[in-house]
Amino acid sequence: MVTLNINGRNLSVEAANDSPLLWAIREQLQMTGTKFGCGAGLCGACTVHINGEAVRSCQTAVGDVVGKKVTTIEGLSAKGDHPLQKAWIAEQVPQCGYCQSGQIMQAASLLAKNNNPTKEEIVAHMDGNLCRCMTYSRIQKAIMRAANEMRTASNSGNERRAT
Amino acid sequence: MNSHIKMTDLPSTDLSRRSFLVGAAASGLVLGYSGMPDARAAAAPAHLEPSVWYAIAPDGLVTVTCGKADMGQHVASTMAQIVCEELGAKWSDMRVQLASNDPKFNDPVLGAQITGGSWSTMMNFDAMSRAGAAGRITLTEAAAASMGVPASELAVRDSMISHAKSKKQMSFAEIVRSGKATKTFTPDELKAIKLKTPDQYTMVGVSVPQLDIPDKTKGAAKYGIDVMLPGMVYGVVVTPPVRYGATVKSVDDSAARKVPGFIKAVTLDDKTATTTGWVVAVANTYQNARKAAEALKVTYDGGPNAKLSSESLFEEAKRLLALPDSGEFFVKNGDTAAAFGTAAKLMEAEYTTNINIHAPMEPMNATAEFQGDILHLYSGNQFATRSGAIAAGAAGIDPKYVVMHQKWLGGGFGRRLDADMMVPAVQAAKAVGKPVKVIYSRENDMTMDFSRPLTYQKVKAGLDGDGKLVALNHDVVSAWPTQRWGIPDFLTPSVDKKGPLDSFTVNGADFFYSVPNHYVRAIKNEMAHNATPSGQLRSVAPGWTFWAVESMVDEIAHAVGKDPAQYRIEMLDGRGDNAGGAQRLRNTLLAAMGLAGYGTKELAKGEGMGVACVSSQERKTASWTACVAHVAVAPSGEITVKKLTVATDVGTQVNPDGIQAQVSGAALWGLSLALYEKATLKDGGIEQTNFDSYTPLRMSQLPEVAVSVIANGEHPTGVGEPAVTVIAPAIGNAVFNAVGARVRSLPITAEAVKAAMKA
Repeated sequence: MVTLNINGRNLSVEAANDSPLLWAIREQLQMTGTKFGCGAGLCGACTVHINGEAVRSCQTAVGDVVGKKVTTIEGLSAKGDHPLQKAWIAEQVPQCGYCQSGQIMQAASLLAKNNNPTKEEIVAHMDGNLCRCMTYSRIQKAIMRAANEMRTASNSGNERRAT
Repeated sequence: MNSHIKMTDLPSTDLSRRSFLVGAAASGLVLGYSGMPDARAAAAPAHLEPSVWYAIAPDGLVTVTCGKADMGQHVASTMAQIVCEELGAKWSDMRVQLASNDPKFNDPVLGAQITGGSWSTMMNFDAMSRAGAAGRITLTEAAAASMGVPASELAVRDSMISHAKSKKQMSFAEIVRSGKATKTFTPDELKAIKLKTPDQYTMVGVSVPQLDIPDKTKGAAKYGIDVMLPGMVYGVVVTPPVRYGATVKSVDDSAARKVPGFIKAVTLDDKTATTTGWVVAVANTYQNARKAAEALKVTYDGGPNAKLSSESLFEEAKRLLALPDSGEFFVKNGDTAAAFGTAAKLMEAEYTTNINIHAPMEPMNATAEFQGDILHLYSGNQFATRSGAIAAGAAGIDPKYVVMHQKWLGGGFGRRLDADMMVPAVQAAKAVGKPVKVIYSRENDMTMDFSRPLTYQKVKAGLDGDGKLVALNHDVVSAWPTQRWGIPDFLTPSVDKKGPLDSFTVNGADFFYSVPNHYVRAIKNEMAHNATPSGQLRSVAPGWTFWAVESMVDEIAHAVGKDPAQYRIEMLDGRGDNAGGAQRLRNTLLAAMGLAGYGTKELAKGEGMGVACVSSQERKTASWTACVAHVAVAPSGEITVKKLTVATDVGTQVNPDGIQAQVSGAALWGLSLALYEKATLKDGGIEQTNFDSYTPLRMSQLPEVAVSVIANGEHPTGVGEPAVTVIAPAIGNAVFNAVGARVRSLPITAEAVKAAMKA
């Protein structure tokens, strides 16, 4: 048994230390928003945050995240209303949607550090995330839109804190 | 002509076979076609469920059941939008659910549950409109009775029925709860319903938000891979090094038995011949199944295809093409031999495309569970009618005992028309007596794809003294993806009566240019057919036929010193059978030229614009699509696509924003196939195993894409595929205009461009 901190909860899972975090999250804890795409760190569908950094959960061993904070798409925001999630709806980004959890998690790690990214910075940060439906242009627009919302929220001062 | 499409009977086809029911029940109002048995359907209902396209619940929510696979084209939302238009519901009251494989959910035109061909909207628009209108009439009559006013004085809007004079109004929810909404429509009554005219639309043509999107931003949408059943165990497939034809000689599970949780290694006995030489490692968790799969020692007989390579398939194609009696004719107009004899100029060129892999982001998977006599399958699939029958074959039961539980598809692109994933799930579940979820690794998914076939085409053209194209022979050699299904309805009689041919290898070659002498021959590459069982990859035949046709037309135009766009326009004169379609295609080409600024300015050295125009997918279902590609070519031969300008005439737009998404996605697929995607066969196996060696377009390779949609009020056509087919020839033609290099093989590589520049 290994205890993992996922989305603020301590959860026990029967998994060997060297087994991929992806499968523990998806199949054992049944949080299926995180997707399996390639198993080789080549597509980004399985992206989660470990202590706020975007990582490929298919390439991350369960044993390596003990004592760290794991965040999945289900825990990105309490009500599914992270600025990126709202922007993804506003720009009507997803087609099949399968890669989009990973896209959003990858983008969230960018905006957490840089809420005013250039297009080039977005491309550099997102290029490891494949979208077979080719929604790339809308992904870029949605990241710009979310960044704009986050800047507006942080500029509006103390009365409303973006969390 | 393609036998599976009978667009002329479109409105009547469904009505002749079915009757329409409207009835009130405590659970709500249900509207749909009653389940008249369909002789052509493979499966009969194995479970009790009222026959419905949609239901209105007592709370007023309208749930549309979508019989089409939703793989990101938002077709469920589109069906709901069409129903909503005629029903008069509020968009926020609309919900969607995905249909089971019950034949009552069969496509009203195709008579089966199959999603492909960019057919869904065009073939369901009428049925969904009438279903919506019938609901509105029923609700209106019930409201009129309740209010004591004439139905003709009532207005329906936003799920509310109101009477202006008396200021009375009732919501859909109130009417449903009243229990007074009961009416049955005979087929004739349904047919007689006067539908709205386009000027009355308030919903069709509006970019309402797609109903499936919010869940897809929260990780909440459920795909096949997300299915969880009580007591479920996992299967990981071990596939042979040869794509097709291998057999298992021995399985040594001694090491696998040491893996904790290992249950069994199941060697597939696939009587449907969908898979060959597969073994499933079954264990309590996915990780353990994976470890067990790695620990299995399987030996194979590689079978008859074990030495074949892409090169040998091309050589076979050339051999077949050279034989005088090869293949069957898809088009035979005039007499090309005679016309070649008198032509002022002859031109000949060969065009090839390599193997391509679907690689949807969600790897293939299926979950199977036996409950008594019933086999339940959970998966996202594009062809429930056939896939259910394959699953039944794998289980050794009658197809009527198979229930398919449809899920959202994490990409389809034609890959999920196939049923291979059902076989390991079914046989493993049967062998271990538990529900089994089988998930392919990406390596399984790529090496066992039902790929776009490698194709070899030869085009011979005869020109008259004025440079006019007067004769064209077009030979297409490929595996036959649709013949593999074994469903005669999907084949097309050859015009020379040599038997049925697979028109999904030659569609598009029957273009709308006026060429008086025109032959198109479909030649089956049996060797490729056996070694690389091919499938339908987004756009199918027009993805290669227009590569040849639109490249050749360009080559001819240059050879006779004409502007390639102008040369096309002159051939789109709408003579004979081409009337209407040719003019629509011409107009679309002109629109794309205008939007791109074609020919209006001098481009920088090394840059060029190229045009192409297509009538994909099929003559009877065409969306008229044109592209101007603007490229820059470096001295190394490397191509930078600066902009793709695409215009497409779709008749009627249901959801303009959704169409933009589909067309630009299709165009980028076209780009990806044109420049970045190539699979190869070696020693009978696909060499590419993951996204490091098979490399679809990434964000950094994204050009500017401008899509303009022409909606002129004609019947709606499809948008998921046609734009795929116009891109490669437009880019190839642009490269020629940029640097004078003509490349005739896909994908276009920098090396090939550089070599052609020198030549």
